[in-house]
Amino acid sequence: MVAVLLALPALIGALPASDAAAPAGELRARALASVDVPFSGYAQSAGGLSLPVGNQLTSAADLLSDRTTMRAWYRSADDWRVDVVSATGETGVHRDAAGTWTWQYEQDAAARTEELPLALPSAPDLLPRALGRRLLSEAADDELSRIGAARVAGRDALGLRVVPTDEAASVSRVDVWVDAARGVPLRVQVYGGQTDGGGPALDTSFLGLDLGTPAASVTAFTPPPGADVRFDQQQEDLLDTARRAVAVPLPATLAGLDRRVLPGAPGAVGVYGRGVTLLAVAPLPGRAAAGLRVTLNRAPESVIDGRGVRIAAGPLGLMLVDGGRGGSWLLAGTVSLDALAAAAAGLPPTRGDR
Amino acid sequence: MIAVELRKLFRRPRTWVTIGLLNALPVLVAVLMALTDLAPRPGEGPAFLSAVLTNGTLYPLAALAIVLPLFLPIAVSLIAGDAVAGEAQAGTLRYLLARPAGRTRLLVAKLVSVFAFVLVTVVVVAAVGYVVGRLFFEVQPVGGTALSGTSLTSADIVERTVLAIGYVAVSMLGVAAFALFFSTLTDSPLAAMLGALAVLIASSLLFTLDAASSIAPYLPTRYWLAFVDFFRDPILWRDIVRGLGLQAVYVVVLLGAAWANFTTKDVTS
Repeated sequence: MVAVLLALPALIGALPASDAAAPAGELRARALASVDVPFSGYAQSAGGLSLPVGNQLTSAADLLSDRTTMRAWYRSADDWRVDVVSATGETGVHRDAAGTWTWQYEQDAAARTEELPLALPSAPDLLPRALGRRLLSEAADDELSRIGAARVAGRDALGLRVVPTDEAASVSRVDVWVDAARGVPLRVQVYGGQTDGGGPALDTSFLGLDLGTPAASVTAFTPPPGADVRFDQQQEDLLDTARRAVAVPLPATLAGLDRRVLPGAPGAVGVYGRGVTLLAVAPLPGRAAAGLRVTLNRAPESVIDGRGVRIAAGPLGLMLVDGGRGGSWLLAGTVSLDALAAAAAGLPPTRGDR
Repeated sequence: MIAVELRKLFRRPRTWVTIGLLNALPVLVAVLMALTDLAPRPGEGPAFLSAVLTNGTLYPLAALAIVLPLFLPIAVSLIAGDAVAGEAQAGTLRYLLARPAGRTRLLVAKLVSVFAFVLVTVVVVAAVGYVVGRLFFEVQPVGGTALSGTSLTSADIVERTVLAIGYVAVSMLGVAAFALFFSTLTDSPLAAMLGALAVLIASSLLFTLDAASSIAPYLPTRYWLAFVDFFRDPILWRDIVRGLGLQAVYVVVLLGAAWANFTTKDVTS
């Protein structure tokens, strides 16, 4: 009896998934069209990417290095909720038409953020649905292939593989498992860089999914009485700093990647590349750069040369370039270390802090 | 026979000393926190403890979270490990079995008394926590805040606290089943208790290892902390249901083994 009980989960997991003869392009179209499919789900992401960023950007770095457990409810593109569940607390992001509320139980605090053209990655971006759609959205047809089927969250999922063709790419491949019935991405595995044992550098998957419209009361949020309510300025301030910085004209291409046009984003910040190969370039004020430079210089894996210091964690690359006159360039993205060095060579000098 | 065993258990001073000592730690924590007004930093310390400074009605849960990792399992395995092995060590098992009641009935009586102890202990910890919370901390008359940031009425908090107490009691039944099974294997109550604790410590350790993640869902301590999920909104049933199922499997299998072992055992002491 014990053996039967022990074998049960493995047997259920080994149930064959039914494959369908959907071509890769059609499957991608279905995944991209799934933006209107409402759902409630339970997901887990595991990342093995530890970036040595010290005390700066810890929330973004934790997302990529830890196991994150999430509950999500999705009604429409501007009405959803994602909770990051921990053993002793919870951090919930509630989206409404005008922006987001972020609730942190252990701080007893609610923070309001307006919608921003550019934002640091947060837990909702790690949901397989959001990440899968994002990574598939710009893949070229010759980068796509089919890889059979699997069962994810108890549903039949069809596999789709993206192998980027850009020379600068550090991501070797992305496997996206798309729900056979409704097209929702159920699992995303990102491979690339040196990860231990050849496993994915980032693996995010639904463990349970219900494709029904959740109640409006679940996604709505009103700060509870007694909570510390504030307007979150941090990211807005970052953007303002970038806007105030005298924009140095950035080149149209860096390391063979074309610059993207981001409406509303400050001109000093440049984003290059497409699909899974992206590179962000931003000027850093002297003080912020000094702290990061010390941390990066201390990391044993970092490469230090005349251009600056660069480091890779899985497929993620980070580089700090001395731009002259006290200013620095920060380069970050899913590009190889060689591409980072090539990009650094193509950058103009910064104009310093003023 | 069940009544006899229950009377025996709850008339023993040792039972009440165990329960008393178990409550000493949450009370001490409450006194220190009330005196210093220092809560653990977010993400550190037991669940709910950082919230009790502003809402004392949550202290029963904080008290359970404080004793759950170690003290509660020690108390439960102490009593359950003693159930059969204690009689054997005292040389009274032979006489108990000489009565025409039969071994199965004796084991069932022991089992019921151990389960009663688990329930009484958990309820006492929560009750003492409630009194301590009311005495030392501010109590919000309107209710409180769920982990998800929604407001809970006092009735909600009471209901969810009762559910959480029940869940913790079920989690402890697994510990009791381990100790009772070991208790039928050996004549030494200490060995039975340490055996059960060794299982739990090994389980807690394996749970923290990424390398053991494939067996994590089967570890007896895996879902212990899921009682916190009653305070999310909507309640996150996933781990709670799994925890109940897992404990049920452990209890059924271990009690079956204990019964098979005890009914065929050569009792010499």
